[in-house]
Amino acid sequence: MLQPELVIGVSLLYVLALFGVAAWADKRQSQQRSVVANPHIYSLSIAVYATSWTFYGSVGKAATTGLDFLLIYLGPSLTAFSWWFVLRKTVRICKENNITSIADFISSRYGKSQRLGGLVTIIAILGVMPYIALQLKAVSTSFEILCGQPHISVSLPGMTAIPVSSSALAAGVLALFAGIFGARRISSTGRHEGLVAAIALESLVKLCAFMAVGIFVTFFLFDGFPDIFGRMAATRPELLDHLTTFGGPGEVTYSSIFSMLVISMGAIMLLPRQFHLMVIENSDELHIREAMWLFPAYLFLINLFVMPIALAGILLTGSSSGADLFVLSLPLKSGHQWLALLAFIGGFSAAAGMVMVESIAISTMLLDHLLMPILVRIAPNGWFPGLLLNLKRAGIFLVVFLGYFYHSLVAEQYMLVNMGIISFVAAAQFAPSFIGGLYWRRGNKAGALMGMSMGFALWFYTLLLPSLIQSGRWQTTLLEKGLFGFSLLRPTALFGIDEFDLNSHAVFWSLLFNIGGYLAFSILMPKDEREKEPAEKFVSVFKPREEESWEKKRLSKPVTIMQFVNLMAKFVGEEQASSAIASYLGDREIDENGRVSEFELPSLKRFIEKTLASSVGAAAAGAIVESYLSDLGSRMESFYDVFRTVRASLEESRESLYVRLRASEIMNRTLDLQIIIDDLLDLIRKEFGFNLVVVRLATAGGMLKVRGFRGTEIKKITRTDWEAEVNTYIGDAFLSNKIQFVNDVNHATKLVSRDLMETVGVRSFAHIPIARQGEAPIGILSVFSQDIVGLFTEQFLQLLSSLAGQLAQAITIVFQMEARERERKAKEQALLENARVLREMEIAKQIQRSLLPTTPPALPGVLVAGSCLPAAHVGGDYFDYFLRGDDTLDIVIADVSGHNVGAALIMAETRSVLRAHVQRTVHPGELMQRLNELLYDDLSRSELFISMFYVSYSFKSRLLRYANAGHNRPLLLKRQPAGCSDLDTEGLILGVLPQVLFEEKSVQLDPGDILLLYTDGIIEAQNAAEEFFGIDRLCKTLNLMRDDTPDAIISALFENLDEFLQEALPKDDITLVVLKLA
Amino acid sequence: MWPQLKRLLLTRLRFRESWIIFFILGAIMMNYPFISIFNKPDRLLGIPLLYLYLQVGWVVSIFVIWLFNKANVTPNGDDSSEEEL
Repeated sequence: MLQPELVIGVSLLYVLALFGVAAWADKRQSQQRSVVANPHIYSLSIAVYATSWTFYGSVGKAATTGLDFLLIYLGPSLTAFSWWFVLRKTVRICKENNITSIADFISSRYGKSQRLGGLVTIIAILGVMPYIALQLKAVSTSFEILCGQPHISVSLPGMTAIPVSSSALAAGVLALFAGIFGARRISSTGRHEGLVAAIALESLVKLCAFMAVGIFVTFFLFDGFPDIFGRMAATRPELLDHLTTFGGPGEVTYSSIFSMLVISMGAIMLLPRQFHLMVIENSDELHIREAMWLFPAYLFLINLFVMPIALAGILLTGSSSGADLFVLSLPLKSGHQWLALLAFIGGFSAAAGMVMVESIAISTMLLDHLLMPILVRIAPNGWFPGLLLNLKRAGIFLVVFLGYFYHSLVAEQYMLVNMGIISFVAAAQFAPSFIGGLYWRRGNKAGALMGMSMGFALWFYTLLLPSLIQSGRWQTTLLEKGLFGFSLLRPTALFGIDEFDLNSHAVFWSLLFNIGGYLAFSILMPKDEREKEPAEKFVSVFKPREEESWEKKRLSKPVTIMQFVNLMAKFVGEEQASSAIASYLGDREIDENGRVSEFELPSLKRFIEKTLASSVGAAAAGAIVESYLSDLGSRMESFYDVFRTVRASLEESRESLYVRLRASEIMNRTLDLQIIIDDLLDLIRKEFGFNLVVVRLATAGGMLKVRGFRGTEIKKITRTDWEAEVNTYIGDAFLSNKIQFVNDVNHATKLVSRDLMETVGVRSFAHIPIARQGEAPIGILSVFSQDIVGLFTEQFLQLLSSLAGQLAQAITIVFQMEARERERKAKEQALLENARVLREMEIAKQIQRSLLPTTPPALPGVLVAGSCLPAAHVGGDYFDYFLRGDDTLDIVIADVSGHNVGAALIMAETRSVLRAHVQRTVHPGELMQRLNELLYDDLSRSELFISMFYVSYSFKSRLLRYANAGHNRPLLLKRQPAGCSDLDTEGLILGVLPQVLFEEKSVQLDPGDILLLYTDGIIEAQNAAEEFFGIDRLCKTLNLMRDDTPDAIISALFENLDEFLQEALPKDDITLVVLKLA
Repeated sequence: MWPQLKRLLLTRLRFRESWIIFFILGAIMMNYPFISIFNKPDRLLGIPLLYLYLQVGWVVSIFVIWLFNKANVTPNGDDSSEEEL
């Protein structure tokens, strides 16, 4: 026997050591130098699975029923094969959804159902009650064995000593320990490295302690395994055979083996503490890979000496009574008290670890799923996070003391192992909904609720209730007679099935109804709207996520970011709320009102829920946000589904494609813009059920003018042309080239538009710029609905926008075609006009030609030739011959300035006037003077001038008289003396002054003399090198051709000119007249 | 390209399916009727047969998992089986 003070002292020291380790690990975590983030610590922490049930109970079981003690370790070892899939998937889901517990997991998977979360919590609380009782019993009995007394006297100063039962003390210490460890902060998703470190250390301690006892018993008390088995076979062969075989009469049945395997496979992940350590506290998915073999290896080691200890106990004590505590009693009996103390510490470790994690995990569930739905109705306040923390601590105490309560009710009657199995079967009730939730999309809330509650009810009726009844504190004949006396309803032989042992019986019925209910209701009942998203997210968590899925919901009233921050601050504290929102916003756009876009809001809401979920669980977080929104007068609404069918998230719906196709048809069918617009409006209005759809096109003045509308005419809309200004949505849409839409007119912010829409009863509307990609808009497509709020989803607006884009394309094409048509017509017109003018010019040319003398007069002793080459069709050059009696020949050459039609007309007039006066005057000077007087008015009016040279030659006297009106001086090539000279005389050009006197000179000619009269066209003709033809060349040619006829001279001059000009064309009319005396 | 793809496929196939096969195999070997082969009051080397069978079977299963893990760790430390059951 040991002194109780010693045992308590060592235990407290051990607890202090745990605290130290935990504090150290926490410190390291805060320094980012985690000591627990490795697969070995992870595996050790999972070994919290081995509780005092393992430590003491396995030996007890091995000594009474034999090898079946192994089953609850073989089951979990077998599931390790599936961890890489099942566990990893669960971990991934929990990390992505900030899940805090198994209750949160199941509730989140089935649409954040509060009821489901509550049900799981209740099952967990009641389910682990026997399990915690088992730990308390183990601690207190081991204490009793070790110290020989079940009570400890606690003396307080000034009071008599009060005996406290060791189990109550154990409960108190463990609850305190858990309360301090597990509820240090409110966020439950953040990992508790201190706790994990303490649990891992405990796992190590219990393994070492048990191995120490095992080695001591096997190798010191006996000579190894064969020795123990050999002695057993020698002394109690039938007992050994009984303990080492299954299935015989009075032995463990095969069905029992099966059910034990099944429930232990479930328990390894579904017990709240296992879920907590394996999933919530997992720091890296890759740790799972190592844990898959490390954890089974741990279980193997801790069970290695169970059978030897059990057999040794039987051999040494002679019976298997009290086998539950062989681990303690064998060292004690052999006088190794230190070993017994070590074993006690090992057992205490096993119990403490289990109670701590279990109570923390369940307290989290309790807070999140049972208390939070009530708490959220309290208006959150500054003290709220503190309240939550204290409630969590209270929850831990509650869970431990419920265990204590059960312990004091039934502990005497039950072996440790049997108590544990009750809890295992309870945890197994989570399995169908859990596994289904991971892999079966169709599994729904109704199924989970129904299956789990039926399974729970049957567990309660067939397992928990009998355990309470068998404790003997409750006198009833329920077990023997059945409910209401129906023997078919006996709890231990439901419907008359009594071949099974108690556990298999309960497993069979509870799981049958659980699975059956889950499957049946999942198939029969429809999935509720809120379940669809998480179902998909959970089942296909490893599928690469699409970039973003379309929002199908909207907030009926926009909420500002500040409002959300305030909400979060109440639960997680201001600092954390601010940093969380900052990380969310990142580079998202915020408008001037401190809001994100309407389509961002649902995602922001989800983020808030997720952040809150880490503190209060997903279901409660959902409820908190929901109730907060409803306080603000906002709620989640479905967008009105314009397509009327369910659509896959990113794929375009058939309807949307159909509308686009129809729109293309409309555009391609015609080039008549009005028809296109009207048909498109018809299509949009009918397809989406708008009350009014309008197309406005921008005018050159920037007005948005109605070009067409369809639907019920609202005159205030259709008869108004808007100027594009930002104070209206339509103006804003046009100017910013962005869709402007209002899903609920009540929340419109532009007052002009809002007033108008409210007057005409429009409830939602949108203005879509009609613009081609990357171009400025050319108009606005407006759609109005008087019935539906929340019509415009992002996807729908994109569709409308693409229709507007198509329309813009069509309009642009039509505009371009019209412009081309106009241009073509103008060109045609110009060509026609040109042709007409040309024809008339041709006529004018003909007429003008006919005005010039065609053949020179045939006169004796005189040869004359003349030619005119107009630069344009008609020209201003003129020459003529007049015969005066039979003695005199007059030659005139004139050049009207310009060589256009005007010049030609003046030339014609000059000719007429000249012809009329030739016979009346004798002297060229006089004639010129007269001509100037007559033409002056016309010339000055038309701003034209005429240069003219007039010669009059008398055959008889061979005298040439001449007068000049500013014309080029004619060249005279005389025989004697040879050489060119010009006829020089003064005279102003005609049309400059009304009265001009012209000097008249005369020159005596000799036979062979040649006179050349010319206009400036020839001497000013320029070749490509910009040289003038000049008088010299003229002279030279005359000289060369002096013996030829005037016709030949003219031809030669033109030839020379052509040669000189090469490719160039003369710019002015060229007229030449040659007079040669024979 | 081809040998890499082939290796990848083989690895995946071996990886995922073999886990399931071993899981099912384990479940079968621990249940009736398979277990009745060893469920006899005989002793091998002084150790009861069923006890030996379960313990050895357990060690083998742990070894198998260990082996699989070693075989499936790719050089960069990650596995290649992102897509799931």
